[in-house]
Parts: sequence; C-alpha cells; structure tokens
Amino acid sequence: MKKNKRKNPAGRLFVKLLGNERYQVISIPIFAILISLVVGAVVIGILGKNPVSAYGNLLQGSGLVPKAKYAGGKSMLTDFFSFMDYWTPMIFASLAVAVALKAGLFNIGVSGQMLAAGFVATVIVGYSTLGAPVAKPLAILIAAVTGALVGGLIGFLKYRFNINEVVSSIMLNYIAEYIIAFFINTRFVDPVSRQSKAVSDASRLTLPGVKIGGLKMDIPLGIILAVIAALAIKFIFDKTVLGYELKAVGANRNASRYAGINVGKNMVLSMVISGALAGLAGATYYLGYYASIQPRVLSSTGFDAIAVSILGNSNPIGILCSSFLINIINKGSTYMSSTAGLDAEIASVITGLILLFAACGEYIKYQVKKTKDKMEDERRNAA
Amino acid sequence: MNNVIIDGLSFALPLFIMAIGGIYSERSGVTNLALEGLQGMGAFVGALVAYVLMRSMGTNSQVPYYMAMLFAIIGGMVYSLLHALLCVKFKANQVISGVVINILAMALTTFMTKAINRSVFGAPSDKFELGVSVRWTVPGLSKIPVLGAVFTNIYPFEVVIVVIAFIAWYLLYKTKFGMHVRACGDNPHAVDAAGIDVAKVRVKAVMMSGALSGLAGISFAYSISAKFSSGIYVGYGYLAIAGLIFGNWKILPTLGACLLFGFAKSGGYQIVQNLGMPSSYSDLVMILPYVVTLLLLMFFSKHNQAPRALGEIYDKGKR
Repeated sequence: MKKNKRKNPAGRLFVKLLGNERYQVISIPIFAILISLVVGAVVIGILGKNPVSAYGNLLQGSGLVPKAKYAGGKSMLTDFFSFMDYWTPMIFASLAVAVALKAGLFNIGVSGQMLAAGFVATVIVGYSTLGAPVAKPLAILIAAVTGALVGGLIGFLKYRFNINEVVSSIMLNYIAEYIIAFFINTRFVDPVSRQSKAVSDASRLTLPGVKIGGLKMDIPLGIILAVIAALAIKFIFDKTVLGYELKAVGANRNASRYAGINVGKNMVLSMVISGALAGLAGATYYLGYYASIQPRVLSSTGFDAIAVSILGNSNPIGILCSSFLINIINKGSTYMSSTAGLDAEIASVITGLILLFAACGEYIKYQVKKTKDKMEDERRNAA
Repeated sequence: MNNVIIDGLSFALPLFIMAIGGIYSERSGVTNLALEGLQGMGAFVGALVAYVLMRSMGTNSQVPYYMAMLFAIIGGMVYSLLHALLCVKFKANQVISGVVINILAMALTTFMTKAINRSVFGAPSDKFELGVSVRWTVPGLSKIPVLGAVFTNIYPFEVVIVVIAFIAWYLLYKTKFGMHVRACGDNPHAVDAAGIDVAKVRVKAVMMSGALSGLAGISFAYSISAKFSSGIYVGYGYLAIAGLIFGNWKILPTLGACLLFGFAKSGGYQIVQNLGMPSSYSDLVMILPYVVTLLLLMFFSKHNQAPRALGEIYDKGKR
C-alpha cells in the first residue's frame, strides 16, 4: 500500500483507476480480486505449475470455457448447468447473511438453518409420495418456514434475553447438526452411502439427467427463484418502509429507537427473513444439488456465504456477482486439481485472499483519497 | 466419575486459555471472532515443528512436545498480527476481519499440510502425526476420593495452561498494562488523553489472544487425536467465544463456563457408555453443552455488559 504515497506514476495510476468515488463500490472489490489473483498466481508459480492454465481450468470446470474433450453425453452446457445448480444455494445463503448484516446482526448460523430446513423438507416432502406439482412448491415452503423459525428464534433470544446472536446461532448450529445426525442415523440412513436416503425425484428442485439434444444435464429450477429473491430483497431495501427501518436499526440502534422505530420487532423480523432465505438455500442444497444429507456435517456454503456477502457489499446485485465469482473458484477447483495436479485447496486459499484484500477496502479508499488530495495540493502549489 | 473429570478438564482448560485470549482482545476493544483461525494456525505451526523434530529425535523424546507448544504460541501470535493490522491499522470491520482470518486459516492450514507432506516428506497425507503425549499422575493427591481425579492422568499442557492462566489473570487485573487494556475497551479517548497509545495497547492485546489461542490449538491436537489436521479444531474457537461472553468478559466466570462445557461433554459420553446405548445416541448427548449454555444464557444474559467500546474503531478525531 506504500506505493500510493510516492510521487511516482503508480500513485497517479491508482488515483486514476480508483479515485472516482462513484465507482469505488465496484472498483475497489475488483482491485482486491485482481491483487489476490496475482498473489494466487505467484503461489501456483512457486508450486511449479502454470497459473494461466490453472485459472483456465477453473473456468473450464465451471462450464464457462470449453474443455479439451468431454465424456459421452456431456458438454460445456452440462458443466454450466451443474455450476448454476451449485450457485443457487450460495445466492440464497449470501442473501440471508446480507439481510441480517443490514440490520446490524451477524447470522453465522446460516449453515445450521440450511440443515434444519433441508432436513424437515426432506422428511415431510422428500419421503412422501406427492406428485411433482405439489411436492416442489411444498418443499420450498416448508424449508422457508423452518429456516424462518430457527432464524426468528435467534432474533427473539437476542431481543428478549439479550443473548448475543453469534453465540446463540453457533449453539443452534451444533444442536441442529447433532440432533439431525441422530435422526438420520437411527431412522433415515441409507446403509450403503451412510447418508440419508435419497429424496423422491418429484420433490427434487433439480431435474436430474434431463436429455436435451442428446446431452444429459441437471436443470436447476431454484436459480430462477434465487434471482427473483435477490431482486425482491433489493426492492425491499431500496423502496419500502420495512427496508428503511431495518437499515436504520443496523446503522444506529439508539437513534432508531428515538426516531420511534420498534427496534426489537425489526431485529426479529430481519432474522426471520434471513432464516427463510437460509431455508431456501437448504432446500436447493439438500433437495437440489444433492438429494440427501450427510450426517454430522454442516455445509461450507453457509460460511462461504459470509465471505460472498462481504465481497458483494451486502448488496443483492453485488452478491449475484460475488457469488458467481466465488462459485467459479469453488466449482472449478475439482477440475483444476485433476487436470493441473494442484491441490483443490488452493482454490479456498485464493478465496481467502480475495476476502482479505476486500476487507482492506476502507483502507484502500483512505489511501487513494490521501494520494488524490496530495496530488491536488501539488498541482495548486505548482500553479 | 473419574473419567468425566479427567476428560472434562483436558477439554475445558484449552478452551479456557483461548477464552482468556479472547477476553484480552475484547477488553481492549477489538472484537475477536478470529480465535478459531488463530488456534488453527498456531496448532499447525506447532505440529509442523514437532513433526520435524520427531523425525530427527525419535518418538521417545519429550522435546518435540514442548517445542510444539512454544511454536504454537509463536505461530498464533504472528498470525494474530494480521488481525491486529486489519482492525487497528487498516480500520477494517472487526467482525469481518475475524471471519476472513478464520476462512484463510482453514484454507491455508489444509493446503499447506497437504503441500508440505507431499513435497517435503514425500507422503500424500492431509495430517501430521504427533507423538502420544505423556500423562502425569501426582502420587499422593490422586488417591483422594473424587477430587483425586483432578491429579490423575494430567496432560503436561494442562499444567502449563493453569500457570499461564494465573499469570494472565494477574496481568489483566493487577498491573498497569492490564488496566490500560481494560480502559482501551471502555473509554479509549480517556486512555489517549492520558498519553497512552491506544493502537499499541490493542495490538498487544490481540497478540496475547493469538499466543493463547495457539497454545489451545496444539493442546487440542494432542489431547483429541495425537495428530494435526484442519478437521480437529473446527468450532472450538467459537465455543471459546461463547464461553467468554457467557462469563461476561471476566476471567473467573469464564472458567466456570468452560468447565461447564467440558464436563457436559465428557459427562454426556460417559452416560452413553454406562447405559450401553448404541453409538448413534451419543449424538443426542453431544448437544448437552450447547443446550445448557443456551438455557443458562437466558437467565444470565440480561445483565451482561460488553466492553463499551467493543468493536469500535478508535478514531482520534471522533468524540
């Protein structure tokens, strides 16, 4: 960061690229991403692999760039649909984190809420004999309600008993993980896979193995819902009283109380919405991308979502972009590791680096402003 | 009963020392969700050192064990500088910084364990095997009924933790430095007016949390599985945070909270074993510490008072 301070062309370039305050919302995250990709490339280089082809593999694995060859019945589109299938729960989960963050709450329990919602929907709808037109909407509804209840509980504990939401959601994560593991292991276990028995195809939110023009692909239905949800959340925050109140509570709890906003109600409400979104993430994860639940495992999606949400500046549109990017890294890493011979974990290192630099956003902004002011002073003195 | 106490203590004490680290950081005004990552990175560094030493000194020597502890402390401390840098110098959001540091630690330790194992030791493995820790039994004291269990089968790290915990308690409540730490979390402006550098105090407090978390991490690595992999420590950092909030950011009540977690966990296992229930029932018992915590928090949280300036970025110009 010291570069900015010097009077060299680099400083001027930085100001030129990042100086415009209107675009800093976008330009600084992109700057953070680029730096981390460069750092990641250096690491890959040190490991003796070609970083360009490794990054290319990420895109190929995500179905955004064609691979050299495909197995029978597969194509780039197959990969891309699978990419979207994995992307869907990530969008929902990140929106869940963002809604809570806007109201000043930190929902670290998205994974637990996803699991609870996925499990309840699996047991009630997934193992029923309902037909697809009833089962699919019902699964979505039940998952959303379950998630909302768990999220609402966290909000209520905070409001009524002053229990820090970070603590209660972590406790609930564990409780959900173990109770559900107990029920799966005693009642719903598939003796071969050691996971819960697969849900019926009628209830699944992903249509598996659909044949289009001789190519097989998994069609994710939830992606449409996810994009609608992102737009709806944006509308709520930008255009409604509810959104305004939530943001006010998040910005300053005391000021909102003086302004006559019911802080407790809004906190619980934000957690209800957040939980419902987490529930939808659970439905599209456990009854979509996967069709079963692995006992005693919380999905990493709920935790990655925190990162995605931060990178997207808690803005629904920003989240659509940042989740797309993080998903490329997550989804493409398997292909990269098999093709380039790199450990798949390098992908999460790059994700971590992106977040690290994104967290420095304020500082970058501050340095850019300082350099800019200094340069203007110099210009004035020279004139 | 003996097993409940022995296992309970070996789980509660690392948790406690990590929570003390968290108390230091949070009392100085820096929210520390990064405990999880700090302990992971500390444990990784310690385990790597122990693994290397064991290859040259053989498995019988106890030197690697103590070097592991030392280097875990150093590793945690160095890694915590990142959190300090982000929170104090770069003025980043402290919650976000903590989460980022956890994610990065998880990724880095998993990745580096694999990479080092393959390229340096030529073995494709995602863990470092550590030697089995010796355990001490105090001759006379262990014969006392019930309480004797406290002196039976002690891990050496438990002794280290008790000593360090006492020093940390003394430092926080009885020394000038401790007062500065506590003041930074309640009224940093007053501290600044008194001519003390708030940033420096906070950085030191965060480093303290890194060091203690590192010690906790390596202790878990030895007591739980005698090996290091990124899987072994998942979640304990957050549990320590729950413990310190439960303990109202004070060291002694936090000890109570951590003991509760420890005994609820070991007690639960014992119940399952004694009743001869199938192992899947242990899942049901495993929720005990968390349910108990939630219930107790309902009664005690009302009067919980976080440090007033917790999570606030110190800005000289602001009043």
